[in-house]
Amino acid sequence: MTINLKTSEVPNREQRLGTIIRWEGVASDLVLDSHATYGPKKNCGQQGRKLCELDSPFTQGNMCAECVTIGQGIMIKGSVVIQHSPIGCAAIQAMISRLNRDMTNQRGWKLENPRLICSNLTEDDMVFGGLAKLEQTIRDAWKRYHPAVILIATSCATGIIGDDVDSLSSKLEAEIGVKVVPMHCEGFRAKHWSSGFDISGHAILRQLVNKNPTKKQDDLVNVLHLGGPDIYTPMLAKLGLRCNLVMGGSTMSQLEQLPEAAATAAMCTVLSYLAAGLEQEYGVPEVKVPTPYGLKATDEWLREVARITHREDRVEEVIASEHARIKPQLDRLRKDLKGKKGYIAAGATFAHGLIADLRELEVEVDGVLSFHHDPVYDSNDVEQDMLAEAIQTFGDVPHYTVSISQHFQAYTSLHRSKPDFIIARHNMAALAASLGIPGAQIRFFNDGVGYDGLLRIGELIRRTLLTKKFSQSLAAHSSLPYKQWWLDQTDPFALSRKEVTPEGNSHANFSCQ
Amino acid sequence: MPISLANNELLPIIEDVVEKTNSIEQVRYICSMGSLASVLAIPRATPITHCGPGCANKQMGSIAGLNGYQGGEFYIPSTNATEQEVVFGGAVRLNELIEATLKIMDSDLFVVLTGCISDLVGDDVGSVVRKYQKQGVPIVYAETGGFRGNNFTGHELITRAIIDQFVGDYDGPRETGSVNIWSLLPFQNPFWRGDFTEIKRVLEGIGLKVNILFGQESAGVSEWKNLPKAQFNLVLSPWLGLTTAKHLEKKYGQPFLHVPIIPIGADQTSAFLRQVTQYAGLDEARTEAFIAAEEKHYFNYLKDFAGFYTGYTCQYHLPSLSVVLSESAYNLAITKFIVNQLGLTPGRQIITENPPEEFRDAIRAEFRNIAEDVTAEVDFEEDGYFIHKRVQETDFSDHTPVVFGTTWEGELAKNLKGFLVEVGYPSTDEVVLSRSYIGYRGALALLEKIYTTVVRASTAA
Repeated sequence: MTINLKTSEVPNREQRLGTIIRWEGVASDLVLDSHATYGPKKNCGQQGRKLCELDSPFTQGNMCAECVTIGQGIMIKGSVVIQHSPIGCAAIQAMISRLNRDMTNQRGWKLENPRLICSNLTEDDMVFGGLAKLEQTIRDAWKRYHPAVILIATSCATGIIGDDVDSLSSKLEAEIGVKVVPMHCEGFRAKHWSSGFDISGHAILRQLVNKNPTKKQDDLVNVLHLGGPDIYTPMLAKLGLRCNLVMGGSTMSQLEQLPEAAATAAMCTVLSYLAAGLEQEYGVPEVKVPTPYGLKATDEWLREVARITHREDRVEEVIASEHARIKPQLDRLRKDLKGKKGYIAAGATFAHGLIADLRELEVEVDGVLSFHHDPVYDSNDVEQDMLAEAIQTFGDVPHYTVSISQHFQAYTSLHRSKPDFIIARHNMAALAASLGIPGAQIRFFNDGVGYDGLLRIGELIRRTLLTKKFSQSLAAHSSLPYKQWWLDQTDPFALSRKEVTPEGNSHANFSCQ
Repeated sequence: MPISLANNELLPIIEDVVEKTNSIEQVRYICSMGSLASVLAIPRATPITHCGPGCANKQMGSIAGLNGYQGGEFYIPSTNATEQEVVFGGAVRLNELIEATLKIMDSDLFVVLTGCISDLVGDDVGSVVRKYQKQGVPIVYAETGGFRGNNFTGHELITRAIIDQFVGDYDGPRETGSVNIWSLLPFQNPFWRGDFTEIKRVLEGIGLKVNILFGQESAGVSEWKNLPKAQFNLVLSPWLGLTTAKHLEKKYGQPFLHVPIIPIGADQTSAFLRQVTQYAGLDEARTEAFIAAEEKHYFNYLKDFAGFYTGYTCQYHLPSLSVVLSESAYNLAITKFIVNQLGLTPGRQIITENPPEEFRDAIRAEFRNIAEDVTAEVDFEEDGYFIHKRVQETDFSDHTPVVFGTTWEGELAKNLKGFLVEVGYPSTDEVVLSRSYIGYRGALALLEKIYTTVVRASTAA
């Protein structure tokens, strides 16, 4: 789908990419069905059927696009982000603050509280509209901090009452003389939170990049990531490239320069929107190979970056020396971890990447839970498909569950898989621990990327296995809040199956897109 | 005006802003639906949230997951409302979720909480829930849309929903010597679990049967069912719980005792226990015996601590002044203790949870009467910008302050060359399990925390 920068709203991922949040089966079927339904050749001689999504009457809270949009916005240095919402949305501030403090430490920034201001809407505003308060808060943001940019995140409440945030933003931008950027991220508008990354990418493309770049920087590569330590600058330096590390903590001038770069690499597939937009609008080529997790994908990623930036002459040498550098430690890790069984519960890119990392470490993986699935990315290029790549390189995953961080389903799939450890995001590790399974939660988004990421994950598993005693002692004295019939289940979608039909087959309650 | 955008530079605060507005930053409470945490605080009770996809975990993740790292398994049922529910209404979806929740979740009580979406589109949640109530399902509902208030007022809404829709009418006999406790807001205060244990311990020590109602010392819903039988209600907080106590007085004719200051330290706690003894008509000799034993223990430790407190005054710049930026309950309690037990000067007290206007004069009066020879002033402010501004504008020269606050005060405490002790939401530099800061035992832990912080900050890292 072509990216449309004329409007301030972004079609959500289910509209653009056919994103689903519930599916269960063999991973290779998911790949085939995804390509058959949404790939560029759509069913022309391909195997695979129409990609369908399961229903579930039972659902548990997860995240929303607003959380994500806020998180991305506040990491733009010098910004103020306004949450135009009742106070509840601002619960995210504590989490953003924590992340900010950790990143401050890792990236050597100066400690300061994130500039997040809530317009604090109350009952009267629901009746009379919230624009007067928003205007006040925009003025407060300017008076208090003189920021480089004021980003406004909308909320479910303001979406329903219909506040015209766009017009007010334009008016105050003209008056104050600083960019005032609306981000339409009402939680109810997308079923998966990752639409929030598109919304922040959209804001950057529409209002924050330099739209008339006068020069090209041939040695500059845009790396889009979700925050965390900068592991990319040293990686790219080996090819004589400079890294413009954006999204997770960038300055305004870094964003302005995005169109000048020689290439863009999105380190998470949920950031593909901005990468595709830079290619579409400014001809900055996107690195369209799978994200570099594991040896092979990292090799291929470096080769593709080298090809785009005309550095083919030195890339093989870099790859060879990197392999040699990490070999002793990698060998030790493989010796320790060989034959262990791991389980992965994470967002799609992480899940796919960790399949590669774990199997590269000779860890067995028969169960994976991914928080969503994008049948294609914004490039519409199936060569970029990380799951396909992981399966082709390392073999199929027999139990692949797509579940939007649903605790009850994560339980069931863990109960089925019975792994030696779990690597997870979004607090699934705590669940595993109460089942006696050592768990590690990945907090920073770059932890598994590249050659060093492979080693980092190996070390993480080694440390995680040491917590077995803790988990086992906990499991002996823990209970989960589910009824026994569910605790006995091994099918994460048992609640979604319809009654047994007269023909004797049980049918899943699928809905097709 | 040139603005530097280098990574390491702070933006200058350029204009002097004096006027308070609707804006609020460095948020120190969550929304009305955040009272789902209070439901989770009742053993074997489950919240069912009817709201957008991010609401339940945002409230839970911030108030419990990060705030003292009190807990973090996200299993809260939620309708995760989409455009469909916004346009066509969410009652059908809520009904589907309740039905599925009853199938899968093992719980003694379900509390349906609504978010902004449901309250705005006007879902008739009552009629959905009443259908289950008629079938005998232990389920209640409260309309807690985020624009209606914060988690303090939401707490009283869900409490009332449970009392009116689940506990129900009662005109049987009273049980002399039993009490219901209404005190700190669960999870909001990172130390509530340990504090509730200490409250129950000291009240049992003087012979009361205690319905603590929230936390792991609670027996769960059976305790709530027994609530109307109690001899009286004890509201142990400046204002939270008063609305509930007044409701119970009207509903069951049950009297209440209001003690605005949660006791910290031996003097306060002993006085509190004597007050309760007198009010409830308990055995005074038993109370005195309990107090004597507790005080012996407490003052033995305090005597040992004196070696540090008097011996290292020069060496470590021990704090001489307190700045307390917190919810009213801890603000009052800590100020009282710090001034009376340690002799610190009350420097700046700011109450951050936006207590209803009608309770504020009584709170001010308590501060003015903080010690026989000391009065303190208090401000009410919820916007972090002004909380910090007021502190920065205060002259602390000649003093080393100790700041009792939140993670938001990390930078501020450094700039004041003082020490930070995290006591309120959000406390994300503090891991809290069973620690309490109140009563006899908690006071000792609070002293440990304050002076460990001082020593650590004063020696080589």
